[in-house]
This record gives sequence, structure tokens and C-alpha cells, in this order.
Amino acid sequence: MRYSVLIIVVALIAAALVAGCTQQVQQPAQTPASSVGEIKIGVIASLTGPASNVGKNMWQSAQVAADEINAKGGIQLGASGPKVPIKLIVGDDESTQQGGQKAATKLITDDKVDILVGGYSSAVTSAYQQIIAEYKVPYIVTGASSPVITHRTDIDTSYVFHHCPTTDSYGQYTVTFIDQVIRPAVNKKLNAAADRPFRLALLYQDTAFGKGVQAAVNDTITNNKLNIVLVSQQGFKMGESDFRTQLTATRAANPDAVYLAAFPNEGAPIITQARRDIGLNTIFLSVENNDNAQFYKDLGQYGEGSIIESRFSPYTAPVGILADAQSKFKNSYNAKWGTFPDMMGASTYEGVYIAAQAAGNAGSTDKAAIKQALVDLNMPQVIEAMKGGSISFTKDFRESQFDLWMEQLAFNQTLGETRPDIVWPDNLKVTDFTLPSWYQPGSA
Amino acid sequence: MVDFGILLQILFWGIYAGCIYILLATGLNLIFGVMKVVNFAHGEFLMIGAYITVTIFVLTGFNPYCIILLSMLALIGIGAVVERLCFRPILGTSKLNEIFLSIGLIYIFQNGAAMIWGDEWQSIRSPYQGITVPVGSFNLPLDYVIIMVVTAAILVALYLFLKKTRTGREMRATSQNRKGAMLVGINVERMDILSFGIGCALAAAAGTLWVVSGQVFNPYMGSIPAVKAFAIIILGGLGSIPGAIIGGLIYGIAENGAAYFLGGVWKDAISFIILIIVLVVRPTGLFGESGE
Repeated sequence: MRYSVLIIVVALIAAALVAGCTQQVQQPAQTPASSVGEIKIGVIASLTGPASNVGKNMWQSAQVAADEINAKGGIQLGASGPKVPIKLIVGDDESTQQGGQKAATKLITDDKVDILVGGYSSAVTSAYQQIIAEYKVPYIVTGASSPVITHRTDIDTSYVFHHCPTTDSYGQYTVTFIDQVIRPAVNKKLNAAADRPFRLALLYQDTAFGKGVQAAVNDTITNNKLNIVLVSQQGFKMGESDFRTQLTATRAANPDAVYLAAFPNEGAPIITQARRDIGLNTIFLSVENNDNAQFYKDLGQYGEGSIIESRFSPYTAPVGILADAQSKFKNSYNAKWGTFPDMMGASTYEGVYIAAQAAGNAGSTDKAAIKQALVDLNMPQVIEAMKGGSISFTKDFRESQFDLWMEQLAFNQTLGETRPDIVWPDNLKVTDFTLPSWYQPGSA
Repeated sequence: MVDFGILLQILFWGIYAGCIYILLATGLNLIFGVMKVVNFAHGEFLMIGAYITVTIFVLTGFNPYCIILLSMLALIGIGAVVERLCFRPILGTSKLNEIFLSIGLIYIFQNGAAMIWGDEWQSIRSPYQGITVPVGSFNLPLDYVIIMVVTAAILVALYLFLKKTRTGREMRATSQNRKGAMLVGINVERMDILSFGIGCALAAAAGTLWVVSGQVFNPYMGSIPAVKAFAIIILGGLGSIPGAIIGGLIYGIAENGAAYFLGGVWKDAISFIILIIVLVVRPTGLFGESGE
């Protein structure tokens, strides 16, 4: 028996060691600008593994953008240069750090891409940033939301550009919404004094992403001296599917609302198990990556009354000039793939446009020139609402600035699913936030 | 001071989680007991059981609890084929062959499932969702009560099969002494294929109960439960079915207790901490025998 146990333990350790190995990388040769026949854009996405739902959406959205650009003859290199097509090459990060390292290395050294787009999990993306830094390949991150991606100082991040809101933005927007909208509504329901502290619980994925949201929530409350008390902060492992114990603990803390820093495959079971199994009848607030068709399907009727912080939804759009652009993208995506794009797909779609624009402005495939073009970028917003109506990157941490909104889900009996309506801020909303009839506020 | 009612709820969720682990680990232990093979792909049978349940549920609308029998039957067949084509040819060779064969099977099953069913996360709804059974101040969801009863029924059926039937006795004899069983005329190859099939059927039952409880699943879901099932059978004692049952319950309760008292990030770690402690104190596991 000891022999068998020893074999099993040795095999497990060997598997872990092999999985931890990374490939040695070598500096690739630069493609001469004079021989540019196409712009190669590498797309790093999670095509397999736990994040494959979102990853496929990102890759498919990138292809929609490439089709559109190439249908117009490609991208013009410089003011008077030739038009060249863009070519997408995908790298599957397998939803793992090791997979990400392999994908980035292959795209850079084998496929010799000119620029990279994509990246979903912050933990995965962080793991291969060293390779990006070593080869100095411009990388537009369109999914990984931890600010650490461009704020870290242990490696050179100057070639990394962040085109998605960071967890700092999520936390700040959501907590502000709670303070300005949900807190007064709960006080009104309870006939409570305006200074009643709002009881917020936090359930977060124990990764850079989840901890980033946790930090942002704490900082926003502290820095703005908001009358919000964090009554419970429960962490969970990435990919977890059984949350009943954490939800039991959360319910015992009597929250007025629960904020979830979770991926869609975690957020939907959390809300379902909370309402169905635990009887936690409260408002659940989710971060934007949950605004995904599969999330609505998995939630069923249990999503009723929930809130999602968002910037692109498969099922709604803000009033104004972007409605047509978003509708066109959704229709193109639906025509090509038979389903609807999600938010990470939207930012990756834009990421391809940004990459093409940067290469065009640089007038070559020289990576330093493309990086400088990204630094200097100022292009009109594409389908998502940007601050000032244009896409550019901040000078300090190379982050683009989004306008976010909050959606509330209402159950559609015919569809058997919930659908979102924008309820905040006032300039974008289509209806008002309401507390569901079954809502149970917390108590001290 | 922790509320007693909260502790009872944590215990309940622990027993529920333990039910899934027990079925998975018991099947794994049955296979190891008879064939002495290490099958790291055992979690993939749970995954296939989950998908078969959902496929039949979507196609027929049958009550998913009834589908458990169909799912188990299907996995007996799949298990028999895998045993015959993959494990029998390497039986008695190096343990490394078994390990790398089963790792290969993991990729084959995962990618095969992704091709057939897609690799998006899925979930289904039980017909009894929302129905609760009041026990004191706690309303127990009916689904979880049914899951515990079904698990107990499967284990009782397995016990009766192993203790009261001729085939069961032959299987136990093969498990205890393979050469001795051959000498008294037992067809050990038949026992191999049967134990592998039953072990896979138990994994299929775990998969059905997994999806009925509303947990999400995708083709890659089986790996972590399989690793835990291995830890459980090492904890309980290799080849010991009572060990797998007690080990599964210990893991389920310990994981949920750790999630409550230490935080969710300790949920998986606590399993291996317990395993290390038990191996240090009793290297053969709780119910293992030193000569095995």
C-alpha cells in the first residue's frame, strides 16, 4: 500500500513540476517595415478551461472586427502608405498561468505577431507579462481588470495598455450607486433615519481580480466617509461551484445587499444558491464581466432584482449615439456566430480596432513605433461609452477611461430569464431602480 | 459565540458535499480494490454522468432523479469499454503506465465532451427547487434531503451486492487475493470489468446528483473532485469502502467547516492538511491494512 501511495504522490508532484515549467524564450527578428504585407494581431483568449465561455466570446468578437476592417480594404499604413489587411492569430491561454505563458511565447516567437490583444484573468495575464516585457511587444489588455497589470513595478509594463475598466473603477462606481440609490431606497422601505448605516456584504474570488474589487470597495467607503458598513467579507477559490457555506455565513451577518466579485460561472450559482437554498432574499450586485448571455440563462428567475455594473450588455444599450453602433456589432456577431457578444467581447472587438489604428498611425510594424502610437492615440469611441467620447490612454498607467452604468434585472416570464434595464446614472438610465417586493433588508 | 443553528446548517452542507465525494471515492476504491489500478481519469466519469443526465433531461423532460439509473447504466457500459481497451492491456505492468494512461484519458474525455456538448458552463433546475423541509429553525431544501437518501440507498445496494450475491463475494475475493481467487475458479477478468463498470456507475451517480443540486458543470469539472477522491481513499485506506464513506464525510464536513471558520480559500487546503496528518499518524489510512 505504501508503494501505491508513494507512486501517486510522486506522480502528483511530477505533474505539478511539469506544469510549472516555462519555455525558454528567444528574441525574435523584427519584420522589416518595407515588407509589410499584413498586420499580424495576436489574440490571447481562454478558448479552453473554466473561462472558455468568455474567452470564446473575445476571440469571436475579434474576428468580427477583423472582418469589418478587412472588408474596407484593411488599414492604411501612415498618411500615404498602402492599405494592408490584418491577420488574427489566436493563442489559447487554457485559463491557466502556464497556458498563458505558452500562448504568449508561441504568438511572439513562432507566429511573430506585431501586436497583442486580449487577456481575461488577471492572474493568468500577470503570469506572462514578463514575456511581453522581454520581447517588448505592444499589448492591449481587454479583459484582465486588476490595476496591477499596468501598475506593477517589478517588470517593464510600458508596452502594456489597459482597455477595460479596472477593479478600482468597478468598486468605486458600484459603491457610489449603493450610497446614492440603494441606501435611500432601503431607508425609505424601513422608514429608517437617513443616517442608518447600510450593511453591505462582499463575496469575492480570492485572486488579484477579486481582491482588487475588495480593496476598491474598502477604499471608496473609507476615502469618501460613506455611511456603509462591510458586515461580511468572504473569499472563495476561483472556479468554485458550491457557495452554500459562505452564503450561510453571509446571511448570518444580516446584510442589506451583497456585492459579488465573481466570474459568470461563479456569480450565477452564488445568486441561485443564495436565493433558492439559503433564503437570502437580498439585492445582489455583480461586476461587469457577468453581463453575459450565459449568465442570464443560468440565473433564471433568481436573477430578479439583481444589479450588474456594466458598459456593454447583450440585451440593452444606453440611450444616445452609441445605441446604433452597439446594435450593429451585436447583429454582425449574431449573424456570424448565432449568439450575442458579451462585454469582454466588446472590448476585444474595440481592442482590434485600436491595434489596427495604432499600426496605421505608426506606419510600420516596428513595435516601438506601434507602442508610441498607442501612447499618442486619440481615436473616436467605437461601441462603448468613453469619457470625453474618445479612446486614449492615461499618461501614467496607460488606462483608457470608460463611462459605466448600473443595470437592474427584471424577470421576463415569456423568456424564462431576466433582462436588464439601465437604472443609473441619470443621463443613461431608461428606468428607475426599485426594491423587489420579496426583498428583506438586514438588521443589526 | 457561533450560533448552533448556523453550525447545523454548515454540517448539513458538509454532509451534502460528502455524498458526492463518497460516491466518487467508493467507485474509485472499488476499482483499486479489485484491479489495483490507479485511474486519475475517474473524475471524467462524473463529468460524463453529468452530461448524460442533462442530455436525457433536455430530450425527454424526465425527472432528473429517475435519470440517475440510466446514467449509471450508460457509465457501466462506457467503463467496461475503457477497462477492456485501455486498462486490461497494461494490467500488471508499471504503475507509471496506469498513471500516464489515465492522464491521457483525462484529455480525451474532456476534449471529447467539449466537442459533443460544448465547453460552456451549464446548469439545470431540479423539479423540486424551492421546496423545503422545516427542521427546527432551518428549512432544509428538499433536493439535498433527496440527494442524501439516494446516496444512502446506492451504498446500501452496493453493500447488499457485495455481501449477499455470489458475484459480489467473488469480487471481494478477487480484491482480497487475486491469485487465490483465480485458483478457486473465479474469472478475475470478469471481476475487473464488472468492478470498473460499477465504479464508473457510482461516479455517474455522483455526476447526476451534482447537476440536480444546481451546481454548474463543464467538461473540465472532473479534475478537482477526482484529486479529492484520491485523497479520500488514501485517507480512508486504499481498497476500503467503509474508509471511502467515512473519508468522504470527513472531507465534506471539514471543507465546509473550514470555509466558515477560516474562509473559503481554505476549503481545498483543509482536505490535504487532514490527509497529511492522518498519513503521519496512521500511514495505512483510517481503515487500510498494512499488508495490502
